[in-house]
Amino acid sequence: MAARSVCRAGSAAGRALLWGPRPAAALLTLARKRGAATYAQTLQNIPETQVTTLENGLRVASEESNQPTCTVGVWIEAGSRYEDTKTNGAAFFMEHMAFKGTKKRPGSAFEKEVESLGAHLNGYTSREQTAFYIKALSKDMPKVVELLSDLVQNCALEDSQIEKERGVILQELKEMDSNLADVTFDYLHATAYQGTSLAHTVEGTTENIKRLTRADLASYVDIHFKAPRMVLAAAGGISHRELVDAAKQHFTGAPLTHKGDSVPTLKHCRFTGSEIRARDDALPLAHIALAVEGPGWADPDNVVLNVANAIIGRYDRTFGGGTNQSSKLATLAVKHNLCHSFEPFNTSYSDTGLFGFHFVSDPLSVDDMMFCAQGEWMRLCTSTTESEVTRAKNYLRNAMVAQLDGTTRVCENIGSHLLHYGRRIPLEEWDARISVLLNNSWITTASAVACTGSVSRMCCLQVGSNGAVDCDRFPLAPNVMGTRAS
Amino acid sequence: MLSVAARAGPFAPFVSAAAHAVPGPLRPLAPAAAHRDRKVPLDLKRPLLCRESLSGRAARGGLVASASLNAPASVRCVHNDVAVPDFSAYRRQDVQDASASSQGSSDSRKGFSYLMTAATGVATAYVAKNVVTQFISSLSASADVLALSKIEIKLSDIPEGKNMAFKWRGKPLFVRHRTQAEISQEAGVDVSQLRDPQHDLDRVKKPEWVILVGVCTHLGCVPIANAGDFGGYYCPCHGSHYDASGRIRKGPAPLNLEVPFYQFIGDDTVVVG
Repeated sequence: MAARSVCRAGSAAGRALLWGPRPAAALLTLARKRGAATYAQTLQNIPETQVTTLENGLRVASEESNQPTCTVGVWIEAGSRYEDTKTNGAAFFMEHMAFKGTKKRPGSAFEKEVESLGAHLNGYTSREQTAFYIKALSKDMPKVVELLSDLVQNCALEDSQIEKERGVILQELKEMDSNLADVTFDYLHATAYQGTSLAHTVEGTTENIKRLTRADLASYVDIHFKAPRMVLAAAGGISHRELVDAAKQHFTGAPLTHKGDSVPTLKHCRFTGSEIRARDDALPLAHIALAVEGPGWADPDNVVLNVANAIIGRYDRTFGGGTNQSSKLATLAVKHNLCHSFEPFNTSYSDTGLFGFHFVSDPLSVDDMMFCAQGEWMRLCTSTTESEVTRAKNYLRNAMVAQLDGTTRVCENIGSHLLHYGRRIPLEEWDARISVLLNNSWITTASAVACTGSVSRMCCLQVGSNGAVDCDRFPLAPNVMGTRAS
Repeated sequence: MLSVAARAGPFAPFVSAAAHAVPGPLRPLAPAAAHRDRKVPLDLKRPLLCRESLSGRAARGGLVASASLNAPASVRCVHNDVAVPDFSAYRRQDVQDASASSQGSSDSRKGFSYLMTAATGVATAYVAKNVVTQFISSLSASADVLALSKIEIKLSDIPEGKNMAFKWRGKPLFVRHRTQAEISQEAGVDVSQLRDPQHDLDRVKKPEWVILVGVCTHLGCVPIANAGDFGGYYCPCHGSHYDASGRIRKGPAPLNLEVPFYQFIGDDTVVVG
């Protein structure tokens, strides 16, 4: 206690010596007021996200921002997690078929109409959500809403197109196989959630792709593309009132209501501590992903884990700075030539998640990198410095703000927040949550997740040439029984 | 030549290359039956047994083959088709259900594992310690050597008043069955008058049995029993007189006869040493 006050006094004295007498306070405030709005002011001035729920359960949300363009999209709570082994791949297939015409606009008429507006149509499917969105001029918003409703409710699913898409998807699978990082993450899910629906890949198995029929896809749409599980999100130069009117006009058809009791529920997916190694000595590098079970979307611990990831930092060989990296793990990686790149991740699903890191390295340094990375986790639990945490918080704040550039990103943010959290969490709230993290409180959480709680749950996977790797190494853990499915 | 080929068995193809049949005038040339192996069609339904499939690493379905003019033809296994096998036979009861979180039971599972490890560790340490001590203690004195250090004496063989001598650890051992008169006489001796003051009862466990090392404390001769002026022992070398309790009374010896460590086992046996 006394020592700390001495240090503080000493550092204040040192500062005074270095910088001389401070300029007058009045001058300083003058300079500040003339500048741009402060960070806090900017956050407060972001327009509020307005949410309206229609009668059939569809949520309409938008953020008006006076721009000439807008992005309007539909975010649906459907994905590969909702499929079973027989229908795995239906969501991805549907995404392909969605752009191939609707009953009202068969064939390429749909795409031509989108293009005639000068708009972009895009979509993606992930494990827990599917999205279709159109970027267009703000004045075309009602038309865009109509197009989206057509796409979601009236997909044509022509047999000839289905057969053509089979080949296309198989070809896409082959190409995706060469993206080793994605393959690694797919394997990670396959082993971490083995025996559950989160283990399914989004694209599905080749057998399913060859076997899925029009009936399968139609029943998939019938079960999942329903209004209560959809969010119509928009961002840009649109008005919320007009958006709601357009939605009421187009999104209240019969196909969007659940028939009777057929509301699908999500079962919890069990996490299994396990390991999968796909060894291929012909490949020059090893991709490793290591994860422990993390919290689901709505858990406040996510903020803590994101700060932890910011402390761990990222690195790849293109970074300048040599051994002077802000991330301690990166410094080690450079000094001992441990890896080509690494990045931590915190993937969340509705009730579970994966918190870990992924790295690419030479086969002979896999062992060392694993040791150092796990050592970094252990270090987080006990000896982070306050400057590190402050830096990480600022980094995270910056990342959250920078992420929202453009109407499309904002629209996606709205859509996914409504699906994950039930409301849009504004940047102000994120900032507040990040600010309240104290150095010790978050360490407890991080310890609970990464150190004590998860010793028995660890999933490691590698693709590529394999040196002698012992994934059982966890520096401070007494032992790691239970890394084999137990 | 031909006979060699006929008897060569598996070497026939190699041998017959060097031999050629020559047609005779009466017998036409009989061409060797051409053994063409029957083409065994590949039965796609039967699992193909090769090194890869036997070790479980063959691609099982989902092969994507590609052939093109200006790129290598390949057969690849798509990662989507790699299915993690079902390990439920190895799972603990708590984690059998795929729709229940494994977090709840993690403490108990970990506790059990750590307990088993700790118990095994303790047991192993105990066993290791025993094994090591057994090996090291085999370097110490063996049983026959240890046996030499003790002597077991049957007391009923010694009548009253008699002194018996035994060889023990290379020295004479006197076991005397004292009479009551001797006991009371020795008890009555004034301790302060002795050269090496010791009361009789301090030198014996049972008063009727006195056990002594029969080596004179002067210069090591063996005293004679039932001799001397005090009803005990007399050393003939230099004339030391000991009493019935083995205490020095007269003569050059400085100390009383040594009393070894002994134990009475039962009524009839004493183990000395």
